[in-house]
Amino acid sequence: MPERGVLLLARAAGRDLLLSASDLFEVLPASPITPLPGPLLGIAGVMLYQGEFLPVLAWEDLPGVDGTPVPPVAMAILKRRLALPLEFLSGALEPGQGGWQINPPGEDPWAPFLVSVCASEGPNLPFLDPDKLIDWLHRRRSER
Amino acid sequence: MNALFRTTHTLKGMAGMLGFPSFSRAAHRMEDIFDLMRKGRLRSTDSLVETLEAGMQALESGLDGLKRGRPEPEDYLQGLRRELGELEALARPVSGATQDLSALLDLPAESVKALSDYERTRITSALMDGLPIHGFAVCLDFATFDGRLRHFSDGLARQGEIISTLPWEVPEECEGLAFMILLAATALDLEALAAEPGEILEVRLLADAARVPPSLRAEIQAEPAPLPSVPATEAEVPVLPVPQESEILRLPAQRVEALEARLMSVAQLRDTVSGLLRGCEDDQTEAPLEILGEMESGLLDVQKALLQMRMVKVDTLFSRIEPMVRALSRDMGKPVRLTLQGGDLEMERGIVGRLGEPFLHLVRNALDHGLESPEERRAQGKAETGSLRINASQRGRTIRFDIRDDGRGFDLARMEEKGLAMGLLQPGLPPTTERLHRLALEPGFSTLDRASHISGRGVGMDVVRAEIEALGGEILLSSEWKRGTLVRLTLPLSRVVVGCLKVRSRGQTFGIPLANVLRVQVGRETYRGGDKVRVLGMEIPLESLQVCLGQGDPPEGQRAFVVLSQPGGTAGASLEIALGVDEVQGRAEILLRSLPELAQIPGIMGGSLQEEGILWVLDPEAVLGLAMDSLMRRVAHA
Repeated sequence: MPERGVLLLARAAGRDLLLSASDLFEVLPASPITPLPGPLLGIAGVMLYQGEFLPVLAWEDLPGVDGTPVPPVAMAILKRRLALPLEFLSGALEPGQGGWQINPPGEDPWAPFLVSVCASEGPNLPFLDPDKLIDWLHRRRSER
Repeated sequence: MNALFRTTHTLKGMAGMLGFPSFSRAAHRMEDIFDLMRKGRLRSTDSLVETLEAGMQALESGLDGLKRGRPEPEDYLQGLRRELGELEALARPVSGATQDLSALLDLPAESVKALSDYERTRITSALMDGLPIHGFAVCLDFATFDGRLRHFSDGLARQGEIISTLPWEVPEECEGLAFMILLAATALDLEALAAEPGEILEVRLLADAARVPPSLRAEIQAEPAPLPSVPATEAEVPVLPVPQESEILRLPAQRVEALEARLMSVAQLRDTVSGLLRGCEDDQTEAPLEILGEMESGLLDVQKALLQMRMVKVDTLFSRIEPMVRALSRDMGKPVRLTLQGGDLEMERGIVGRLGEPFLHLVRNALDHGLESPEERRAQGKAETGSLRINASQRGRTIRFDIRDDGRGFDLARMEEKGLAMGLLQPGLPPTTERLHRLALEPGFSTLDRASHISGRGVGMDVVRAEIEALGGEILLSSEWKRGTLVRLTLPLSRVVVGCLKVRSRGQTFGIPLANVLRVQVGRETYRGGDKVRVLGMEIPLESLQVCLGQGDPPEGQRAFVVLSQPGGTAGASLEIALGVDEVQGRAEILLRSLPELAQIPGIMGGSLQEEGILWVLDPEAVLGLAMDSLMRRVAHA
C-alpha cells in the first residue's frame, strides 16, 4: 500500500469509498451544478469554484451505477480540477499497513479507477484513484 | 465652420469614390481640423487661419492638377505636415479624454496611427516633461537584421526611453529592412552605437518639447482633480478628467494579477450569496437579488477594466507587418496582395510585443521562399501577384494566427533528404508529412543551398518555434506543393470580453460571437432542421442549434434563426448556415471564461456568469461543422 496518509470515508453512487486527503483540494458544502448544454460522458455539469468553471463528475455514467443520483451533501474538489458530489461524509481514518489488497477484485466494475481496497476496518472499502478516474474518462471519450 | 466641415467632408468622399486616395486623405485631414474648430476644441488664431488657408490652397492646386490629368502626389499637405500635426496635438481633448501630443511627431500620418495608446501616452508624457522625441532610422541587412536591431535598441535604451520601433520605408539605394526607432532623450550619442557603414539612414528630431506651449503644460499640471459632483450612491459616476501626472502608471503585472485573483474571490462570494438567497423560500429575496445583479454588472466592469489594462488590438501587430511586406515585395520584385483579417481582436500587450520577431521571420520566409517570381507564377498558370493572408481568429481560450501564402509550398522530398543527412530522420522509417514539415522547426535544420540573402525556409523558424512555445503556444506547418503554405500559430488567451448575440434554445441562453453573425430573422414561419431559408437572395440550409448540441429536434420547430458565417473557408469562400433558435434576445458584451478540458463539449467556446445563470458561448466554427454533419446525416437518411 503506497503512502496515502489520512483518508476520507465518503459515500457516492450508493457505495462507500475512500479518498486520500492529499488528493483533495478541499471539501465544500454541495454547490449548484449547471448542466452543460450537451451530453458529455462522465460530467454532470459545472460548478463555480474560485471564479472558474469546475467540471462535476456524473457518477451515474460510471459502470455499474444504476438509478437516479442522490442529491449530494458535499463536493470534494480533486486537485486535478474535478468535483465529486458526495452523498454522505462518514469521517476520516488513518488505516495501518495491514489489510490492504493492492489489486481490487476483478469483478468490481470500478476496478479501472480503484487503486486498492482496504479491508482492515470491517467491510471492504474501495480506494478511488483520481488520476485513474480521469484517465478512464479520457479513454472512454476517445473510444466514442 | 459647419459649412466648411461639410464641404470638406463631401470633397473627401467624392475624391475617394472617384479613385483619388491621396486627395481624399488630404481632405480628411482638413476636415479633422474643421471638426476640432466647430467643436470648440481649437481656438482660432492667426497661425491656425494661415495653416488652413495654406491647406485649402494645396487642395485647390491639387484639384487643378487632377483636372489637367497630373498624377496624384503621395501627400498634398506634405509642406504643412508639422503645422497640422501641431494643431491636432494641441487641440483640447474631449471631456474625460487625455491630452495626446503624438500628432506633434514629424512623421507620416499612417506611422502616427500605428502607435499604440501606451506609446502615445509615453510620447505625451516625455514632451510634457520637456524631453524631445528623436527618430533614429536604420536600414539593416536581411541576414542579420534581428541581431543588429537588438544591438541598436540596447544601445539607444542606455541613452533614453525607447517608445516604439516602427517599420520604415527602405530607400531605393538600400537593400534590407528599415526601422524607425522613436526615442525620448535629451541628446543622442551616435558614436556609442557602433553602427556599421550605411546602417544609419537618418537621425532627426521628431518633436521638440519646446513646441508644447507653456500655457498647455501649465494648464494640465495645475488642473486640480475635480470632486465628484454627484453623490456616491448614484449608479453612474461621471468620468472625470484626471491630472496629467497621475495618468501614467507603470505597475508590475503581478499587482494586476493579484487584484484579478481578489476580484475572483469576491465574485465567488457573490455567487454564494446568490445561491443562499435562491434557496430561501420567502418572497423577500427579490430586492437583494436585484442588488446582486447590479453587483455582478459592477464586477464585470471592473474585470473588463483590469483586462483592458493588458490588452491591445491585433492591429498593433498588423500595422507593423504591412510596411514590412511592402518593402520586401519591392526589394524582391514580387508583387504581393496582403490580406489582414481579425485586427480587431485583442491580446495581451506582452504577447503582442513578443510576436513581432516571429512574424518578421514568417513574413520574410513567405515572400522569399514561399512566393515564386512573377515569371514562375505565370508559367504555372498562377496570377502574377502572389497572395499572403494573415488571419487572426479567436478559438475559445486561444488566438489563432493563420499565415497562408499561395506559393510553391515545401519541397518535402528535399526536406526528407536533408533530414536523413542531418540525422534528424531514421533511415528505413518513412516519416509522416507532419514530421517532415516539423523538420523546418528543428534548430540547425539548414537549407544553406537554398538560402538567399533574405531567408531560407527553416532558418530562423526554430526561433519562431522557441518564442511561440515559450508563450505557451503551438506552431503547425502544412503545405501543398505548388499550391501554398500554411503556418498556424495558436496562442493561449486568458479570459476575454466578447460581443455576443444572445439567443435562447431549449430553455438555455447562448451567446453567438457577433463577428460571425451575418443576419438574424424572427418571423411567423416555423423553421425545422433541413429547411432551406432565403436570405439576401441566397438559399441557405438551416439546422437547429439544439440538434447541433446533441439535444434532438425541437418538436414544434423554431421561429427564429441566425445566419452564421465563417469567412475564409475553403478557397477563400465563406460558409453560411442558418441556425434555428427559439428566441433572439439582443446583443451583450460578456466576459468569457473558457471551459476546463474535462468539460469541453463540441460547439461551446466557454461560458459567462450572468444573473440568470451561465450563458454558454458558441464556437461558431465548431457549430458550423456540427450543423454540416447533421445536415449531411439528414440527406443520407432521407
